[in-house]
Amino acid sequence: MARKAKKYQKEKDVRVDFTPMVDMNMLLITFFMLCTTMIKSQTLQISLPSNEKVDKAEQNKVKQSEAITIILDSELDKDGVPVKDFVYYYEGMPSVEDANHDGIIDNNNMKEIQFLGNANGKAQGIRAVLRERNEQVVKKIDELKVKWKNKEMSDEQYQAEAKKIRSDSTLKRPVVIIKATPNASYKSLVTALDEMQINNISRYQIDRINMTDSAMMTEFLQQRLKNKK
Amino acid sequence: MGKVEVKKKSPFIDMTAMSDVTVLLLTFFMLTSTFLQKEPVTVITPSSVSEEKVPEQNLITVLVNPQGKVFISLAGDKDSTFSSEKMRVELVKSVVAEYNKVHPNANLTLNQKQVNNFGSTYMFGLPIKMLPQWLEMPQEKRDELIDPNKSEVAGIPIDMNEDLSKPNDFQIWMRAAYNLSNDNLQGAIKDGKGIAIKADQTTPYSVVQVVMDNLQTMKMNKFTLMTALKTEGD
Repeated sequence: MARKAKKYQKEKDVRVDFTPMVDMNMLLITFFMLCTTMIKSQTLQISLPSNEKVDKAEQNKVKQSEAITIILDSELDKDGVPVKDFVYYYEGMPSVEDANHDGIIDNNNMKEIQFLGNANGKAQGIRAVLRERNEQVVKKIDELKVKWKNKEMSDEQYQAEAKKIRSDSTLKRPVVIIKATPNASYKSLVTALDEMQINNISRYQIDRINMTDSAMMTEFLQQRLKNKK
Repeated sequence: MGKVEVKKKSPFIDMTAMSDVTVLLLTFFMLTSTFLQKEPVTVITPSSVSEEKVPEQNLITVLVNPQGKVFISLAGDKDSTFSSEKMRVELVKSVVAEYNKVHPNANLTLNQKQVNNFGSTYMFGLPIKMLPQWLEMPQEKRDELIDPNKSEVAGIPIDMNEDLSKPNDFQIWMRAAYNLSNDNLQGAIKDGKGIAIKADQTTPYSVVQVVMDNLQTMKMNKFTLMTALKTEGD
């Protein structure tokens, strides 16, 4: 009898090679990583007054002791791109009085300052000025912040309380008027608005630069130039 | 001495685990991602400490490049009856109607295909009178025409117009967007969350002021500025 050839079952490799699969996945991941935005933009909310003409008599006057005017300006390069930002401010009323008629404003209370943010844990530049003027509010908010960080109150409670403090009229609060020259960069405007948030200033507005301001600025710059020489 | 036996190693590495990891990563990216929308100009927004996120729905984005060219885009509601695409279709129709009213000699008309084309366009920035011609073009040509680096006409015309009976193109767009059938968008605009200005940080203020001024004239005096996040320490 012929021996039946024994049938061997072929041993199949049970493993599948996953290398191409990994290659493909990596490619897809790369694609998604490059095409997506992970960081969403933030927004800064502002509300401007409406453009309707208001009578002089109906205009709200700001108390002189509370007012602080920030003027933003930038140096443009030859393509009209702002390269350097300048910040000036004055407290109270603008003054262009020239009693002795020498063409120089007598009490030019304009000062130059910068956006410096914080350094060594202390506010610098314009932030220090604003913080000082809004001291009572900042102090209360800081106290509140500690409570909030220690989980003694919820986020909503904190927000509501902070809002109350910011608009508490019994505290000494400044009114900030932000004026930007046409050359000022958008960045400096946003930085200025940002300082309002940081310093918990609730009363601020963006206004147009007027003759008085530009006169004071020109004067201030001339004086500085003279002093340098 | 005994022979040292060299173990035969298989040259294959098991890739199954690696594959598992990559698939997981892939799923993560696919679920969390929102695609970058193509904008005619790339802008770097200034940074602020504000932590409020840009809303995804019911938003009109006004993009301003440093030269003062203005582009707008419209995002609709979550609700599919007011989807972005439908809203854009409605918007372009009412804009054309309004434009014809303001400019009686213009006689602009759009066919259905052109209207649908607008529905799938993310951002727009050209004079309204060029709409029919622009929407007839293939995609690449359209991108080219609204790119301010390649075309002269890019940007929605805007000026310091304060007379709303003769609105400029930008005012026509904003008015039409405000009057869309989507009440949520109108509510968002009233709350100051429906309009976002996205401008480059090197833009001179005079340029941004024109846009703000136009919005003020139309009594849309609450809006948001798009910024990037920074910490208070900076």
